[in-house]
Amino acid sequence: MVKKKRRQGQTEYFFDYSLLFIVLFLLGFGLVMLYSTSSYEAAQKYGSSTYYLMKQLRATILGLAGMMIVANIPYHFWERFYGFGYLISVVLLALIIPFGYESGGAKRWFRIAGLSIQPSEIAKLCMILFLAVVICKMGRSIRSWKGFAALMMLPMPIVVMVWKITSNLSSAIIILGIAALMVFVASPDYKKFVLLGLAGVAGVALIVFVIVNMANADGLNYRGERVLAWLNPEAYVSDTGYQTLQALYAIGSGGIWGKGLGQSMQKLGFIPEAQNDMIFSIICEELGLFGAVAIILMFVMLIWRLMVIANNAPDLFGALLVVGVMGHMAIQVILNIAVVTNTIPNTGISLPFISYGGTAVLFQLAEIGLVLNVAKRIQLKEV
Amino acid sequence: MSREKGQNKQNRKSEIKTKRKFTIRMQKKLLVLFGLFLLVFIGLGARLFWIGREKGEQYSRQVLSQQRYDSITLPFRRGDILDCNGTTLAVSEKVYNLVIDANVMLSKDTYLEPTLEALGNCFPQLDMAAVRKYITEHPGSRYYVPLKRLTYMEISAFTALQNNTEKDDEGNPGPGNYIRGVWFEEEYRRTYPNGSLASDVIGFTTSDGTGMYGLEEYYNDVLNGTTGREYGYLNGDSTLERTTKPAVDGYTLVSTLDINIQSIAERYLKEYNDEYTDRYTEGPGARNMAVIVMEVNTGNVLAMASYPNFDLNSPYDLSAYYSQEEIDNMRETDIDAYYDALNGIWRNFCISDTYEPGSTFKPFTVAMGLETGKLNKNDTFLCEGKLTVVEGEKPIRCHNSVGDGTVSLEKAIATSCNVALMRMALRIGADTFAEYQRNFNFGLRTNIDLAGETRTAELVHSASSLRTTELATGSFGQGFNVTMIQMITGFCSLINGGYYYEPHLVKQICTTNGAVVENIEPRVLRQTISESTSDLIREYCVAVCDPDYPGATGKKARPAGYVIGGKTGTAETLPRGNGEYVVSFIGFAPANDPQIAIYVVLDRPNMKDQSTGTAQAAIIARNILTEVLPYEGIFMTEELSDTEQRELEEKKLEDTRRYTEGLAQDGTNVTPGENDPTVDMPAPWMNLERDPATGYLIDPVTHELLDPDTGYPVESNYDPIQ
Repeated sequence: MVKKKRRQGQTEYFFDYSLLFIVLFLLGFGLVMLYSTSSYEAAQKYGSSTYYLMKQLRATILGLAGMMIVANIPYHFWERFYGFGYLISVVLLALIIPFGYESGGAKRWFRIAGLSIQPSEIAKLCMILFLAVVICKMGRSIRSWKGFAALMMLPMPIVVMVWKITSNLSSAIIILGIAALMVFVASPDYKKFVLLGLAGVAGVALIVFVIVNMANADGLNYRGERVLAWLNPEAYVSDTGYQTLQALYAIGSGGIWGKGLGQSMQKLGFIPEAQNDMIFSIICEELGLFGAVAIILMFVMLIWRLMVIANNAPDLFGALLVVGVMGHMAIQVILNIAVVTNTIPNTGISLPFISYGGTAVLFQLAEIGLVLNVAKRIQLKEV
Repeated sequence: MSREKGQNKQNRKSEIKTKRKFTIRMQKKLLVLFGLFLLVFIGLGARLFWIGREKGEQYSRQVLSQQRYDSITLPFRRGDILDCNGTTLAVSEKVYNLVIDANVMLSKDTYLEPTLEALGNCFPQLDMAAVRKYITEHPGSRYYVPLKRLTYMEISAFTALQNNTEKDDEGNPGPGNYIRGVWFEEEYRRTYPNGSLASDVIGFTTSDGTGMYGLEEYYNDVLNGTTGREYGYLNGDSTLERTTKPAVDGYTLVSTLDINIQSIAERYLKEYNDEYTDRYTEGPGARNMAVIVMEVNTGNVLAMASYPNFDLNSPYDLSAYYSQEEIDNMRETDIDAYYDALNGIWRNFCISDTYEPGSTFKPFTVAMGLETGKLNKNDTFLCEGKLTVVEGEKPIRCHNSVGDGTVSLEKAIATSCNVALMRMALRIGADTFAEYQRNFNFGLRTNIDLAGETRTAELVHSASSLRTTELATGSFGQGFNVTMIQMITGFCSLINGGYYYEPHLVKQICTTNGAVVENIEPRVLRQTISESTSDLIREYCVAVCDPDYPGATGKKARPAGYVIGGKTGTAETLPRGNGEYVVSFIGFAPANDPQIAIYVVLDRPNMKDQSTGTAQAAIIARNILTEVLPYEGIFMTEELSDTEQRELEEKKLEDTRRYTEGLAQDGTNVTPGENDPTVDMPAPWMNLERDPATGYLIDPVTHELLDPDTGYPVESNYDPIQ
C-alpha cells in the first residue's frame, strides 16, 4: 500500500496523482510530437501547420473535462448500464451500414455536428463494463469449462461486428484481447489459457503459412498482402510495404539519441499520415532509441499504476474495470509498437494519448476517469 | 484490504451480487499478466535496439537517398528591345503552364470533382474529357501539362479559387480546400507588340529562348540572363537544406530604330507593293524591296525595312506568301524548299543580299578621282553615247544613246552619264579604284550589329583582277556586288565630310530597371575622303535632285519644300540584256547640312520596262522624306507650289517654313522640343507606376520599389554592372 496522508474520517479522499501525472505527461508529450510530426503535412494540405494540433488539443481538453467528471461519479453508478451499453454498441455498429461516413476506403465513423465518432471506441469501453459486471455475477461458475466458454462467447458478436462491418480487424482484436485478459485475471487456473494461447499461436502460424504458400498473390485480399509485406517489406515497397518500410527507415536512421526534436526527414511526406499510427517511428527518428525507450517506460509505469489500483480496488467490480482499462492500454501500446517495428503485420492501431485521433483520446481519458474513481474508493489501511 | 463504509452505504440490489472481493489469487494473476506485458515490452525494446544496430546505417542512407535534391530551374527574364524613344519592340512576359498532379488530385475522394470542376470553369479552352481520361488512365502521374503559356489574367480566376480556403458566411469551407494537384510552372514568352514591324531587324526567338536573326540573334547573350536554381543539399548535420540562387534577368537593348520612321518606311514600301503587285507578271511589286534610313553623322540606323517581312509573333506562318496547299506540298515533298521559303521571309535583304549597285556608285568613283587628284573639279568629258574601252570588244553604251556631249563632273553625276564615268575610271586606274573601294568598305563587312551580314570579299574585284572592262563598268556600279548597308554607310561618309561611321542599331544596353550598363557611342572607323571632296560630291548630288537642272535623274525624289541631294541607280542584273534591273535611289537631306540619308532599293520591280522603276524608287524616297524630315525637326526652306501645298494638306502635314524663319542662319535646322530624340528624354523608368505610400516607383516585373532619381531598387546595394 502506498503511504498517503490521511485526514480524519475522510478515507475516500485518496486521489491517484501518480496516474494523473503519467497521463498528463503522455498527453503533453503526445501533443508536442503530434505537432512535430504533422506540421509539415498540415501546412502542405491545409495551409496551417497547427491544423492537426488544434483539433487534437480541442479533443484533449474536452477529454480531460470528461475525465474529471467521470472521476467524480461513483463507478457503481455505471453498473446498471452494462446490458444497455452492450446493446448500444451493437446498435451503433449496425447503424454504420446505412449512416456510416467513409474515409480512406473504410466506413468506420459517424459524423455528428462536425465531430467524427468511431463506434468501435465506444464498444471497447462498453465491453469492459459489460464483462466486469458479468464476471461478478457469474461468481464461481467461471471455473467451469462451460462458464469459461460462455464468457468467451459473449463478446464475440461485438468482435465480429467490429471486424466485418467496420472492417477494422485491429479494433476487433483489441476487444477480444481485453475480454481474454479480464477472464484470465478473473478465473483461477492457467491451464485453459495456456492451451488457448498455444491454439492461437498455432492458428496464426497456419494462416501465415497458407498465405505465404499461395502461389498467386492476386487472390489475396489486402490483409493477405499485408502479411506478405510484413515478411518481406522490401518486395512490396511500392504499395503495401511502403508505409512499414518507411517507418523502419525512420527508426533505423534515428540512432541512439535521434536527430533532434523536429528534425525528422521521414515526416516530410514519406510516411503517409505519420501522425496517426506511425507516430512512434517519428519519435524514434527524432528522439532516438533513448526517447523511444523512455516512452515505453512511461507506458510501463502507466500499466504498473493501473495494476496497483486494481489490486487495491475495494471490490471485484472495480478491480475488473481497472484490469479492462489496463488490458486495453497494454494491448494497444504493444500492438502499435509491434506494427511500427514490423514485428507483426501492418494493421491500423494508434498509440494511446499520443497518436492523432479525437474519439480515441476522448474515450481513453474517460477510461482513466473511471480508474481514478475506483482509486478514490480505495480504503487506506489504518496505520 | 478492508471495505466497509463506502460499500455499505450503497444498498442497491445489483451491487450486492457484485460485492465480491478481488482475491489474492486474482491479484497474483494480474501480477503475472503485468510480468507478461513487461516481457513483451522488453522484447519490443530489444527489437528497436536490433533495428538500430543492424539496419541503422542502411536505413539512414536510405532516408538520405530518397530526399529530393533535384533542383528547380528558375527562368530568367530575357531583356526587352526598345526603340530609341523607349517604345517596346520585343518584350518577355511571364506565362504559366498548367501542371496537373494526378497523384495528389486522387489522394482524397473529395478533391477530384471540385478540382476538375474549377478547372473546367476557369479554363474554357481546356478539353475536360481528355483531362479526365488522362487522370483515370494515369493515376500516378505527377506532371501532366494540358495547357501551356497562359497569361496571368487567364489563370487569375483559378488561383483566386485555389487560395479561397476561408470559410464563407454559412460556415462552408472555401473551395480552395478541395482544389488539389494543380500548380503553375512559370516561364517567359517573347512577344512583339508591333507584329511584323521591323521584323527582319529585330528577329525572333525560338521557344527555348534562343535568338534567331537580327538583334535577337546578335545580342542573344546580352538579352539572355542567367538561369537561377533552387536546389537541396545536406549540411554537416545531414539535414536537408534548400538554397535559392535567383535568376539574373537579361539586359534591355535600346535600339537606334525609331518606330515612327520605321513605320513610315514600311507604309510606303507596302503602298508601292500594293500598287505593283501583279502589275506585269503575277507576284509581288518587286522580288525584294528595302529601305534604310540612317543618321548621316552617327551611323545610327533609324529605319531598316524590307519586304517580304513576317509576323514576329508567328515566324513560321508562310500564309501571307503561299497558299496552304503550296505550304503543305512543300512540307511533304520538298522540305528544303519549305525552309528556303522561311529563310526567304526571315533574311534581312538590307544586310544579307548582294546586288550590283548601278549608278548610285557613281559619286564614289568621282570622289576617288577628286581625292587622288586624278580628277579636277573643272574637268570635262566627252560622251558620244557609247565607248569602246577595249579594242575589238563591243562598245559599252550610255543610257543616252545619242550622247550627252561635253559633260562636267556635276553633269556626269546629275544626268548619270556612263561614258563620262568610264573615262574617269580609266584615268583613275585599277589600283586606285580597288584601293578606294576597300576604303569605302566594299568587299568588307560593315560589322553592323545584326546577325547575318553577308561576306562580299569574293564579289568585289581586287586590283589584279580588275581588267579594263571591269574597271570601266565598275565606274557606274556594275561588275561587283554590294549590300545595302555597305552602300548607305559609304554614301554617308561621302557627304558628311568623309567620316566613315560604323553602322549600328543599338545605342544603349541597360538593366531591367533602366540603369545603363553600356552606352554604344558612334564610332568613326576611318576618314574616306577629305572635307573638300565631300563638299563637291554633296554639290553634285544636290544637282541630281534639282528640279531646274536639265536632264537630272533624281528630280522626283525631292520632297516639297526641301533641297536634298541623291543619286539614282538602274543596275542591269546578270545575265545582261534580259531586261531585269535592280533600281534604287540613295539620298540625303537637308542639302547644305546632311542629317539623314535614305536608300531605297527595288529588286526587279514588277513592270514591263524594269529600268523605269528608278522613278518609283525615287518616289518612295520622296514620300518617306516628306514625313520623316519634319518629324526629325528638319524644316522646309523652299517655296511650295500649289500642287505641293495641296499634297501637304492631303497628307495632313504642315508647312514648316515658318519655324525656320526665327532660327539662326547657320542651317542647324533643329528646334528643341517636339520629336527631337536628342533633347532630354525622360529616363525610361520615369513613366512607371508610382507607389502612393512612399512616392517610389514600382518595378512592373519584380514589384520592387525604385528610386526615381537613379532607377535602382530602393534598399539594395544594386550594382547594375555585375
